[in-house]
Amino acid sequence: MPSYGVNIAMRRILGSSRNARAVCTTPDINALVHLSKTPPTTRHDGPLHGMTLAIKDNICTASLPTTCSSAMLAEYTSPFDATAVELLRDAGAQIIGKANCDEFGMGSLNVNSIYGPVVNPYRPADVRNVPSTVRERRSAGGSSGGSAASVAAGMCAAALGTDTGGSVRLPASYCGIVGLKPSYGLISRWGVVSFADSLDCVGVLARSVDTVKEVFDVILVYDARDPTAASPELRKRASSIVGSCLPKMFSGVQTNTLDGLRIGIPHEYFPLELEPSITSSLRTIIRSLKDAGASIHPVSLPATQYALSVYYVIASAEASSNLARFDGIQYGLRVPPPPGASRSKPSTVYAHSRSAGFGREAQKRILLGTYALTADAFDNYFLQAQRVRAHIKADFNRVFRHPCVHLARPESFLSADGVDVLLHPSAIRTAPRLAGEQDGGGEGRDMSSMDEYLQDVMTVPASLAGLPALSVPAGLGKDGWPVGMSIVGQWGMDELVLRVGRVVEGIR
Amino acid sequence: MIVRPCPWRARQLQQLWRPLRLERLHSKPAVREDQRWPGWEVVVGIEVHAQIKSRRKLFSDALTCKPGEKPNSFVACYDAALPGTLPTLNPKCVELAVRTAVALNAQVQSRSTFDRKHYFYSDLPAGYQITQRYAPLAKGGYLDLPSSRDGVRVGITQIQLEQDTAKSIFDARRRITQVDLNRAGSGLMEIVSEPDMRSPEEAGDYVRTLQAMLRAVGSSDGSMELGSLRCDVNVSVNKPGHPPGTRCEIKNLNSVKFMMVAITSEVFRHIDLLDRGQAIPQETRGFDEAKAETFKLRSKEDSPDYRYMPDPNLPPLLLSPDYIDRVRRSMPELPREMRARLMGTGLTEQEAEVLTTVDAGREVRFDGEPARGAVQYFDRLAQGRSAKAAVNWMIHELIGQLAARKETFSDNPVSVEQMGELVDMVQCGKMTGTSGKTLLRHMVTSRSTVCPSLLAKELGLLAVSDDDGSLLKNWCLEAIEALPEEVQKVRDGNVKVMNRIMGKVMQLSGGRVKAGDVRLMLEDLLRKP
Repeated sequence: MPSYGVNIAMRRILGSSRNARAVCTTPDINALVHLSKTPPTTRHDGPLHGMTLAIKDNICTASLPTTCSSAMLAEYTSPFDATAVELLRDAGAQIIGKANCDEFGMGSLNVNSIYGPVVNPYRPADVRNVPSTVRERRSAGGSSGGSAASVAAGMCAAALGTDTGGSVRLPASYCGIVGLKPSYGLISRWGVVSFADSLDCVGVLARSVDTVKEVFDVILVYDARDPTAASPELRKRASSIVGSCLPKMFSGVQTNTLDGLRIGIPHEYFPLELEPSITSSLRTIIRSLKDAGASIHPVSLPATQYALSVYYVIASAEASSNLARFDGIQYGLRVPPPPGASRSKPSTVYAHSRSAGFGREAQKRILLGTYALTADAFDNYFLQAQRVRAHIKADFNRVFRHPCVHLARPESFLSADGVDVLLHPSAIRTAPRLAGEQDGGGEGRDMSSMDEYLQDVMTVPASLAGLPALSVPAGLGKDGWPVGMSIVGQWGMDELVLRVGRVVEGIR
Repeated sequence: MIVRPCPWRARQLQQLWRPLRLERLHSKPAVREDQRWPGWEVVVGIEVHAQIKSRRKLFSDALTCKPGEKPNSFVACYDAALPGTLPTLNPKCVELAVRTAVALNAQVQSRSTFDRKHYFYSDLPAGYQITQRYAPLAKGGYLDLPSSRDGVRVGITQIQLEQDTAKSIFDARRRITQVDLNRAGSGLMEIVSEPDMRSPEEAGDYVRTLQAMLRAVGSSDGSMELGSLRCDVNVSVNKPGHPPGTRCEIKNLNSVKFMMVAITSEVFRHIDLLDRGQAIPQETRGFDEAKAETFKLRSKEDSPDYRYMPDPNLPPLLLSPDYIDRVRRSMPELPREMRARLMGTGLTEQEAEVLTTVDAGREVRFDGEPARGAVQYFDRLAQGRSAKAAVNWMIHELIGQLAARKETFSDNPVSVEQMGELVDMVQCGKMTGTSGKTLLRHMVTSRSTVCPSLLAKELGLLAVSDDDGSLLKNWCLEAIEALPEEVQKVRDGNVKVMNRIMGKVMQLSGGRVKAGDVRLMLEDLLRKP
């Protein structure tokens, strides 16, 4: 009976050397998991010279480990830099370390991590004087929780995260910072460890829209190594549409003039679970936007109700496929089968490494996704989800004024009474308390396991449609914790979304 | 006597050895009974996996690798399925697959897509293979088997692009499996035939014809020995007039011979089971070359669920009619067209067959770059010369010489320019045919790059410059003197004996005189008393 050993030489070539690990955690908020030892000399003429950045630990860096917060890759260092990281370094940015995250990006609270949960660094006004040890510990959101927390705590000016179903916007909202999930295909995914390829986007987190834009502009480069990258031609078409509408809307002497801007409020985004204080934050924002000259329009995106189910089928199916490579053969954790265990098939040998290497949440999703792809379930789950996904995209195309440049005949969707952007809460609540915390008498509720999946209800539709979405701080909830509002635009209208975001950011 | 390996001869013999042929027309197959299994019909379909002869792999920029290279030395990060890597489709692989589709008369699809086929195996680093299950590159098509006189046409169901796997080698001594990623991610074409073959021999013909075709268009080496072409065969038997029987798939056959043996043995196994009143279970089977038997690998019930999924990274492959046209126009000549064209220049069917057969042995170059084979050599040699002379010199002399030395045409050291000059010298009488052959043998042996006129001079092979014919006259007189009896017979009217006197002249001159001149001179001398 064959045993499945490892070619040691191959392992060495692939760079999973054991000495590369340098786990340096920041104990109070647990945001960074690997720190750069010596600040590398950066280019002095680069547009980001001197800017400090954290990189989510599922984005490959040659100088620091890339573990995806998984035991599977705890010893793994990539032999190459992700394209986005390369672009940042070339622009003179200083990478301070790798940020904690949910394992492979799977989670909304950044609690599924071998490094432990990330603690939200935000301090509500009424507890500023309470020592951190007894202060209420809340989630920083996930999965890019470490990226958001490191920015919110002032450890760096900006951070790269990834957003598959809300993983940048949700932590940005919970931590009170700005988080951009760009249009799908604009930022290269080369070097981003795949969770769900058709949804994964590199996102940017920072304390202001301007900083987000600075970083975004540097990494906004077509990369032939990403087969899903939007073609230069498509980018040009989208930017010419943005270019034609921006001057009309932001023409006033004051930058905050929004004359002619049509903002849609989708009524499917007010579920029962939505915290009432968030609705009142939204009202304040709407009032100010109206004052600035924008018009507000109720819109309907009927397929939204299916978005969460569609998301979990598609994301899990793709994850089960993408995570199949972690078998302990070429790299990563390897747990040899115990003596006497069956070695009859490769899968029985891999099972030991995979059971030890993947956390509970990753295993749950791999199983769900594997089921969705089986011959019996494929049609009812995976294909059905793809069909509904098309409806969700069509919903968005119906409400936007701007055509989707992906469509063969985009003008057929051009509608005069369409909206420029959508505005809705980024999350159904403020940051939830971390599980296992003593009740500190705060407003934060503990999360039941279903609630965790519900966190994504506001963010997954834009992910499924590949649209740019920006979460901007919009005041505080009743509990004194940050509330985020999301601005969503048509594909490729990232510039417009950022411009509107800057106005929303200015409303206090 | 030198026995020359003669590929076209071998082919003809093989056709003679072939058991009773099944005779039928394209439209209406009228099957004649096969004496090996009277009362039964055999149905065979074949899946061929042909490695694409591209310089780089299907989705990475790693170079493709021949067997025998240092393990794990042709590997890009993507091939090892390192996290964070993504596929980039190699357009050369697409082009070569499109060439293949065009050559097989298949419909190249304007839109095809890539899917992931999942299974865990140590030779599959990503845990899935990228293939084209739902929307293949090309559909429909056919391959005519020219070597069969009864015009068998095998339908092609589809042609799809997919990744090759790595190789896992079990080290029995250390009891470990070692993985070599050199082959991982190389491009494959899966060519699926219709179940149109009716005998092991037709199956063999199909694979050989396909091999020749792939090599001709430059899309694959098509070598079963080197593993660049692998076959899975589906076999079923049925009584005439009944629907096809349950089929079994025989996997990983690596020579045409073994494939034919495997089919034959599988046919007998099916018939044996049916004769005993048992049903044939649908199975995937392997082939034991030593026992010449197939054996069960797995039944239909344990066939794995591959969890096919559209690849979310690779966008649909869109091919415009313009692109397909460009590929079609830039394609090398197909064997059938080549044969027809050669016969158009005045060559006999056999000559054309020899040239194309030798041509099929040429080296296939990377990315479909044009290769120099026997036919191209002929085309250049025949330029401004008699096609007949060119083909005679090539087939009977050059290829013959090479074959005698157990060399192939790719070893040919004689350039077209050298060969052309040699032929011209013989044609215009500067050298006799015999001297030309001697000179050619010298050129093949010495691999000399010197031009033939200089070599002929050096070797004393030039026809004697004998403007007044005095040298020839002297040799003739010498011969007449040496053969008085023969001379008398000729004078008595026995003209046949003249040849013997001519032979003597040839011998004396060292073959440097032309037979016609000798005859004229001798006739002239013998007429005199």
